[in-house]
Amino acid sequence: MNKEELTAQLKVIIKPYTTNTDAYENFTEDTDFIKDLNINSANLVDIILDIEETFDIVIENTDMERMLDVKTSVVIIETKLAAK
Amino acid sequence: MIGNDVIDIIQSRKESNWQRKGLLEKIFTAEEQLLINKALQPEIMVWLLWSMKEAAYKIYNRQTKIRSYFPQKLECSFRFQNDSYMSGTVICCGNRYYTKTNITNDCIHTIAVINPDHLKKVIEIEKKNISKDQYGIPFLTSVQSDSVKDVSVSNHGRFEKVVALSFNDCPLSEPD
Repeated sequence: MNKEELTAQLKVIIKPYTTNTDAYENFTEDTDFIKDLNINSANLVDIILDIEETFDIVIENTDMERMLDVKTSVVIIETKLAAK
Repeated sequence: MIGNDVIDIIQSRKESNWQRKGLLEKIFTAEEQLLINKALQPEIMVWLLWSMKEAAYKIYNRQTKIRSYFPQKLECSFRFQNDSYMSGTVICCGNRYYTKTNITNDCIHTIAVINPDHLKKVIEIEKKNISKDQYGIPFLTSVQSDSVKDVSVSNHGRFEKVVALSFNDCPLSEPD
């Protein structure tokens, strides 16, 4: 799976937790989950769990700490997929 | 310094499923999971602990400017409890924060401070004269003294809470 496909899949995962539709439509790799998409911090853990289920990977706490934006999340998912 | 977090239980039921497989293990320490398992109302305990973590994190973020998602590193414990509130501490990366939580009518509201004496000095204020700095941290623009500039804003569902510390010798705002 390439970076574009991965980002597109992440965008689908994030949709139900987003309350800012404008920012969601303008989704880029710089999009911040909390600052831009207004995602409730209690739902960030749902995104992490959805990522684990969708890609069949395990996100460690040290990775989770940094998963506040699209770019970092994609890099982490890529690294985990490559290590499988 | 001050941080606060409000949770609307009705709203949380629409947004979150705290019983989702694997969720509690990602967010809570082993001790906290034990508190949740033993609680008469596990749902309330989940959101009580979460609001403590959020309120404390707001101070940590104000102090360090570090943004991070590390709920397990905000370790909660309780100090005192009576009919009207619960007090506790949250330890994060060697910092200690003191919390006070009120639970009424589906509303959980936690205030965090760095000095336990400051819990008595917390006041709710109107949401006005508030700006955010480059890190997105809110402050009051109407006061001169640095010591009372901190303000914390929290919204969830039907509730909004805006809190600041009020020191007697330094009034928060001039009378109109």
